[in-house]
Amino acid sequence: MQETRKKRAGSAPQRGQEPVQPVHRDATNSLAEDHQGHDSEGLQGRQGLAGKPFWSGSITIGLVNVPVHLHTMVRDKSFSFRLLHRNDGQPLRYDRVCTKDGRVVPWSETVKGYEVRKGEFVVVEPEELKAIMPESDRKIRIEKFVYCLSLDPVFFGTPYILTPDRSEEAYSLLRTALVDLGRAAIGKITLRTKEYPVVVHGYKEGLILTTLRYADEVTTPGAFEAISKLPVPGAAELDLARRIITDLSGDFSIADYHDTYRDAVEQLVMKKLAGEKIVYESPHPEEAKELMQALKETLATLQGK
Amino acid sequence: MKGRPGRGQEPEDVLSRVHVTNLNKVLYPVPGITKQQVIEYYIRIAPKILPFLNNRLLTMHRYPDGVGKTDFYEKDAPQGTPGYVDIFPVFSRTAGREVRFVVCNNLDTLLWIANLASLELHISLSGTGSYDNPDFLLFDIDPEPPLNFEDVMQVAHIVRRHLEQEGLVPFVKTSGKKGLHIIVPLTTGHRFDAVRAFAHRTGIAIAKDTPHVVSEFPHSRDPGTIFIDYLQNARGKTMVAPYSLRGSPGATVSAPVNWEELVPGTRAEDFTIRTVLLREKEPWRGIFDSRQTIRD
Repeated sequence: MQETRKKRAGSAPQRGQEPVQPVHRDATNSLAEDHQGHDSEGLQGRQGLAGKPFWSGSITIGLVNVPVHLHTMVRDKSFSFRLLHRNDGQPLRYDRVCTKDGRVVPWSETVKGYEVRKGEFVVVEPEELKAIMPESDRKIRIEKFVYCLSLDPVFFGTPYILTPDRSEEAYSLLRTALVDLGRAAIGKITLRTKEYPVVVHGYKEGLILTTLRYADEVTTPGAFEAISKLPVPGAAELDLARRIITDLSGDFSIADYHDTYRDAVEQLVMKKLAGEKIVYESPHPEEAKELMQALKETLATLQGK
Repeated sequence: MKGRPGRGQEPEDVLSRVHVTNLNKVLYPVPGITKQQVIEYYIRIAPKILPFLNNRLLTMHRYPDGVGKTDFYEKDAPQGTPGYVDIFPVFSRTAGREVRFVVCNNLDTLLWIANLASLELHISLSGTGSYDNPDFLLFDIDPEPPLNFEDVMQVAHIVRRHLEQEGLVPFVKTSGKKGLHIIVPLTTGHRFDAVRAFAHRTGIAIAKDTPHVVSEFPHSRDPGTIFIDYLQNARGKTMVAPYSLRGSPGATVSAPVNWEELVPGTRAEDFTIRTVLLREKEPWRGIFDSRQTIRD
């Protein structure tokens, strides 16, 4: 991408709504960020909605830096229960228990072990791990650009939203250029202690960073014998199958789908909070309902005997 | 037959203990009968079939993918057999090891068995209380083409008269395939070899006076014959339980019948998963109150 250098403004403008961030200082190659009037162009709504960034750094392309914040994009809305002691309702906690003598072991007496064979461990010291840990240098290093459609979605991990860190112009330039060319940037990021391949691409108004899985973390379908030896379908059958698919084709909206179990659990908890008596319906498959009448009659006969 | 004490006896309770699965799987492709219908059959027939399964060793004849696909006999309780299933271990001389037989003593077990797609239930001729002593005498009468069910019915009536002359009261059921099974419930203390010898003598006597009837195993498959099989009266042998489904294309049942029903025009294939439940007759009612003794 083209380097557009601008003189950095003397002091960063006040941004009341924006959460306080560790300020990125990489002035030399930093693209200037202050552009009067830009704030009013449809960004304020997003600032209100977006949560705190959990990472700040910059996208580096050669000598060019685009300072950005990284925000969580997807939330796992599944819930978990706490395990309680039935007798007194107290939450239970997990302890580190020695598998040999069953005694609770304090943190100070623990060490990490890598299981090389079943029951056989190599002890690894914290200093040793620290020495080989990838360095987190607050950079998203872009190595090349590819066509968006050439990316295989099975390698996609978690998406994050990138927001500009006082450099809307550079951000906008990168986003627009990527979208215009239909391309995505491939690079690397170190988050906490793990280095990920990532792809940065335009999405709606902004830029998204998506972590990628390593090749050895993904199985290809051809590894299954049953798939590698699929027969070629006959022309007539294929024609029929295509007609069925065409007939059933339509638009899809993910908003039509809901986690009904989660909803039911939330309802259950709300009712219990309100002190309502819970009528407990024991779960059984929908299909089994037709067996109920038969069971009812048979149980009546058996008990009558 | 009662449930065990303390066990819930609401339909929901039964289905919470026995997890029924793949209910839409077709087990009888010709009439299109699904596993759900098979399970429903066994639920509805339970009051009639459970007394015959009670305290008897069960051999399951399973059709996991339906009739016409792979089927197998299972004597050993399979892995994952739930706790409500009674087990009776027997040392098998042929297998050279202990076989852990399933004993179906309650409705839960019957449902579990049906859910395993065990269409056919085969029972031992002796109970777990005294496994070495038969309490059923069995004549298994089967035709070889071109003879058919009509001929089997005639022979069955001859066997019946013969037994009645001995002072016995026999009961009869369709095998669910081509033949008939004649049963005499026995008092305690009978021995397999004595019962087998009696059945053999009866067969020989009838074969002597009746065309087509053979009493010996080597002739059992001769075309145009009817074999009166006495060999099933042995320890470890089984018969298909009364009211059991068969793994036949038409979903037939081994149905207890009244002797008066065995007249020309009656067909073995009339007794099916659909028709047997509609029968109000209980031809074997009181069978356990009419235990009889055969003389050596």
